[in-house]
Amino acid sequence: MLIENMKMAFSAIQASKMRSFLTMLGIIIGIGSVISIVSIGDTMRGLFADLYGKIGITQAYVAIGYWVDERRQSDYFNLEEMERIKEIFGDEITYMDCDSQTSADASCARTTVKFNFTGIDYNYNEVQPINLIYGRFLNEGDVLGRRKNVVMDTVSAVNLFGEENAVGKSFRTTIYGTTDEYTVVGVYQKDMDPFEAMMMGANTEGGEAFLPYTILTWPNDMIYDLRFFCRSEETMDELCANIKNYVARIKDRRPEEIQLITARDQMGQWNGMLGGVSTAVGGIAAISLLVGGIGIMNIMLVSVTERTREIGIRKSLGARTRDILVQFLTESALLSACGGILGTLLGGGLVMAGGLLMGIPTVVRPGVVMLAVGFSALVGVFFGMYPASKAAKKDPIEALRYE
Amino acid sequence: MRQGKQNGERRSFGRKGQLPDYMTENICEDLIRLEDMVKIYDTGVLKVLGLKRINLTIHRGEFVAIMGQSGSGKSTLMNILGCLDRPTIGHYYLDGVDVAAMNPDQLSLIRNRKIGFVFQSFNLISRTSALKNVELPMTYARKSKKFREERARVLLERVGLGKRADHMPNELSGGQRQRVAIARALANEPPLLLADEPTGNLDTAASVEIMELFSQLHKEGTTVVVVTHEEEIAAFTERIIRFRDGQIVSDCPNVPRECGEERKTDASVKAEAAQKGDEALC
Amino acid sequence: MLVENMKMAFSAIRANKMRSFLTMLGIIIGIGSVIAIVSIGDTMKSAFEGIYKDIGVTQAYLYIGYWVDDVRQSDYFTLDEMERVKEVFGDEIAYIDCSSYTSADAVNGKTTVKFSFNGIDYNYPEVQPINLIYGRFLNEGDILGRRKNVVMDTISANNLFGVENAVGKTFRTTLYGNADEYTVVGIYRKEQGPLQAMMMGANTEGGEAYLPYTILTWPNDYFYNLHIYAADEEHMDEFYHRLKTYVAKIKDRKPEDFRLNTVKDEMGSVSGMLGGMAMAVGGIAAISLLVGGIGIMNIMLVSVTERTREIGIRKSLGARTRDVLVQFLTESAILSACGGIAGTMLGGGLVKIGGMAMGIPTVIRPGVVLLAVGFSAMVGVFFGIYPASKAAKKDPIEALRYE
Repeated sequence: MLIENMKMAFSAIQASKMRSFLTMLGIIIGIGSVISIVSIGDTMRGLFADLYGKIGITQAYVAIGYWVDERRQSDYFNLEEMERIKEIFGDEITYMDCDSQTSADASCARTTVKFNFTGIDYNYNEVQPINLIYGRFLNEGDVLGRRKNVVMDTVSAVNLFGEENAVGKSFRTTIYGTTDEYTVVGVYQKDMDPFEAMMMGANTEGGEAFLPYTILTWPNDMIYDLRFFCRSEETMDELCANIKNYVARIKDRRPEEIQLITARDQMGQWNGMLGGVSTAVGGIAAISLLVGGIGIMNIMLVSVTERTREIGIRKSLGARTRDILVQFLTESALLSACGGILGTLLGGGLVMAGGLLMGIPTVVRPGVVMLAVGFSALVGVFFGMYPASKAAKKDPIEALRYE
Repeated sequence: MRQGKQNGERRSFGRKGQLPDYMTENICEDLIRLEDMVKIYDTGVLKVLGLKRINLTIHRGEFVAIMGQSGSGKSTLMNILGCLDRPTIGHYYLDGVDVAAMNPDQLSLIRNRKIGFVFQSFNLISRTSALKNVELPMTYARKSKKFREERARVLLERVGLGKRADHMPNELSGGQRQRVAIARALANEPPLLLADEPTGNLDTAASVEIMELFSQLHKEGTTVVVVTHEEEIAAFTERIIRFRDGQIVSDCPNVPRECGEERKTDASVKAEAAQKGDEALC
Repeated sequence: MLVENMKMAFSAIRANKMRSFLTMLGIIIGIGSVIAIVSIGDTMKSAFEGIYKDIGVTQAYLYIGYWVDDVRQSDYFTLDEMERVKEVFGDEIAYIDCSSYTSADAVNGKTTVKFSFNGIDYNYPEVQPINLIYGRFLNEGDILGRRKNVVMDTISANNLFGVENAVGKTFRTTLYGNADEYTVVGIYRKEQGPLQAMMMGANTEGGEAYLPYTILTWPNDYFYNLHIYAADEEHMDEFYHRLKTYVAKIKDRKPEDFRLNTVKDEMGSVSGMLGGMAMAVGGIAAISLLVGGIGIMNIMLVSVTERTREIGIRKSLGARTRDVLVQFLTESAILSACGGIAGTMLGGGLVKIGGMAMGIPTVIRPGVVLLAVGFSAMVGVFFGIYPASKAAKKDPIEALRYE
C-alpha cells in the first residue's frame, strides 16, 4: 500500500510539473539556505580546528591578568623563573619560551625589509613542524651563547637577499637600540593553506625570522608572559592549573589574578561562537522553510479541490477516510522531501563549490543533511495534514457530483 | 450450498486480522431489503422529504431496472443502495446486514466488497491506465500486486478490452471507458452491481453493447440494478421498479421484454415483497 | 480602469479566502521578519548612540599604540605633561584627566564593600552631568591638596553606610598599598536606562566613587593614557589630530605610534557593525520573501488555469491582451502588498511589544516600512508577470472551450 501511495503521489506530482516545481522551489530554497549556512559554520569550525591543530592545541600562555589594576615590577617574569618552571614541570612541558617578539628593519646592501623577529628556544621545531630546506635550525649553542644567528622562511629570504638559499648571508638590524650583524643559518619553507594565510596574515613583502630568545630578552630580562607546550592533551588541564598555582605563589598573587590561556580553550570559544552564530542565522533562514511549508499547504488545498471528483470515485470504490488521508499526506511529504533533497544538493553543492574555489576543505556533515531531508519531509507532513484531512472528510456523494 | 459458507471461511483483511462480522457473505437470499426506509434532506431551512417509506426487496441474481423522472428520488435511492448515503429512518439490509447504522469507514468496506458501481460519466481516474483503474478496488482491499494485476487483466479480457489494458481513459471511446468501469466494478467479486444511467453518455450501439454485457453478467449470477429513465434500456431487465415523487409507483416483472400495463398499489408491492421474503427465509 | 481592476482583484481575492490568506501569509512572514530584524538593529543602534551621547561623544583617550614593540618608560604620561597639554590647548579642551581608576575594599565598621574608584578633576560635572543631591562635588582644593574626599552615588552609599545621605561619613580603604580614611563630601543619583544598565553593568552590590585624580597617580605619577573631552564637537577631528601630533613631538615619537580612541569613532564603528549585521541577517530573512513570491506565482498560475473560461469570455467581450495582463498583475500586486502591510504591522508590532516589555524605546523607521511595503508590491508584480502573461496570451476560442 505504501508503494502504491508513493506511485500515486509521483504521478500526481508529474501531472502538473510547473506547479510541483514551484512548490518544491520554496523548500529547495529554504533547505538550501539552511544547509549552506550551517555548513559554512561547520567549515569555519573545521578550519579553526585545523589552524589550532597546526599551531599546537596544547600551546598555552601564562601572564598576570589584564584585569589586575595595580601592577608590580615583580609581576613580570625573568629568565631565572622561567628556568625554574622548566625544571619543576620538566616532563610535562615539551617546550617553553618567553613569547618575545619585535619588529625592526633588516638591511642587506641597499635592500631594507621590515622584519618580525620571534625569539625561540632551540627545540622549537620539536613542537612546531618547520620544513627546513637549507642549512640548520638554531641549536643549543646559539641560544645559550646569545649568538646572532637567525632562521627565516624562503619568502623572507627572497625579499631580503633575492634568493631562497640565503644560508651564510648576513644582514644588519637594530634590536632594542643595538645595531648588529646577524647571520642566516637556515631557511625553511612555509606551508600555509589559504585560510591560514587569511587568518594569520600571509607574508609577501616583509620578512619573518626566528632568533634565540636570549637575544630578545637582553638587556632588561623582563618578560610579560611565558609560552609553553604541554606534553599531552589529556593531562594539560591539570598541568595548567598546577602552573597557574605555582606562578601565583612565586609572584605572591592569588591564582585568580593570573591569566592562563590555552589554544584549546581559545578554539573552544571560537567553536562555541561560530556554532551559536550559524545556529541563529540558520534559524532565521529556516523562516523561509516555514513559508515554503505554507506554500505546500496552499497548493495541496488547491489540489484537493481540483481532485474532489477523484476523491469521490475512490471513496465509492471503497477507500476509507484513512486511505485518502495517507494518499494526500504521501503526496505532500514526497513533494517536500524531494525539495529537501534538491535543496541539500544545492546548498551543499554551493558550499563545496565555494570551498573548491577558495581552496578550503569544506565540511558538510551527513547528520545535518539527514536532518534537513527528514525535516523537510516533516514539513510536508505537517503542512499537508490540513489539506489531507479536508480531502479525507469529503462526503462521497457531493464529491462525485462536483464539477 | 450458500449456507455452508456462512459460518466457515472469512477472507483475510489486509495483513491485519479478519474481516469484521458484518462482512460475512451470503447470509440471505434477499440481497437487498429496505424496510420502512425514509430519507429526509436537511437543507438547514427546509427539511425535504427525499424518499417516503420505501419497502423493497431484491433477491440475489435479479436483474432490476429502477426508473423515474429526474427528481423522482431514484438517485437518492441509488445512493442509499450503494451505501454512499444512509437512510434517515428505517432499515436497509444488504446481504442480511443492517447498514443504516454504520459509520463511514464501515460503509467504505461494504462498498469495496459488496458493491460494484457503474456511473453515467464513467468516473475513471484520469491519467491512470485502464489496468490501474481496474486494480483500484483491489488495492483498497489490500490485495497483493501480483493478484491485482492478474485479475485486472482477466476482467479486462472479459469485457473485451484485453488489448487496451495500458491505455489511458482519454485514449478510449465512451463505450470502452464504460466497459473498463464495469471491469473495475467486478474487481472484488461484489454480489451487487449498481449502474446509474450507465448508457446516458453513450450512443445507441454502445448502449446496446453495454446492456448486453450486463445481461451476460446477470446470466453468470451477478445481481444487477440499473437506474435509467430510458424504456429501451429498462427493457433489457427482468423487473422494473418505477419511482415518482419519492415513492415506488409500480414494481412488476418484465417477462418477456414488456412491462404489463397494470400498476400495482403500494400495498400489493409490499405484500409481494413480504411473500417473496418468506419464501427465501434463511 | 485602475479602480475597476482593483475591484476585480479584491473580489477574486475574496472568492478564495483561505487560499488568498495562505498566499499572503508567506509575504506576511517574510516582510514581518525583515522588518523585525532591521528594526531590532535600528533600535540597538539608537540605544547605543544614546549611551554614547550620555557619556559624551567628544571624549577621547590618547595612549601609546599597542602595536609599538619597544615601549619606553617615557611613553607613559606624567602630570607635568598633562599640565603642558592643558596650557597649550587651553580652551579647546573642555576637560582632561589621566583616566586613573582602581578597585579596593571600602570598610565602614563591620561592612566591607568592593569599590571602584575613579580619579577625576574638579570640573568633571561640566562634561558629565552628575545629579548631585546631597553635599558638594569635589573642588579645586580637593584636587590640588590631594585631599581624601570622595563623591559617591546613592546605591553605593546605601551599600556601605545603609543611608543615602552619607555626607560627612568616613570609611577606610587601601589604595596602592596605603590604608587611609576617606570622607564622603557629596552624593549623586545615577540615572540609567535599562539598556544602559545592561550594557554598562548596573551596580547593585558593589560601590563606585569619584576621588581627586591626584590621589590615584600618587605615588608613581606615571599613567598610561590621557582622557580628554574636546570643547568643540564640530572641529574635534582636527583638534585631536593636532593634539596627537603635539604629544608625539614631546614624546619623541611619530604620530602613528600613538593611538587616539574617540567615542565618536567607536560609536561610528558600533553603529556600522550593528547596521551591517542587521542588513546581513535581514537579507537572510528576505530569502523567505523570495519563497513567498514563488508562492504567489504558483497560486496565480493555478488561478489563471481555473479562470481560463473567464478569460475567454472577457476576450470575446473585447478585452485586449493588455487588459487581461493588467487584471492579473493587479491581483498579484494587491495580494502581495496586503501581505506586506500585514507583515509590517506584525513585525513592527512584535518589536514594539518586545521593546515595551523590556522598557526600551524602539525605533521603526518609516523609510524601512515604506520600502518593505513597496518591495512586497514589487514582489507581487515580479512574480505575477509570468502567470499574468500566460493569462493574457490565451487564445479566446480555446479558452471558451475549456472545461
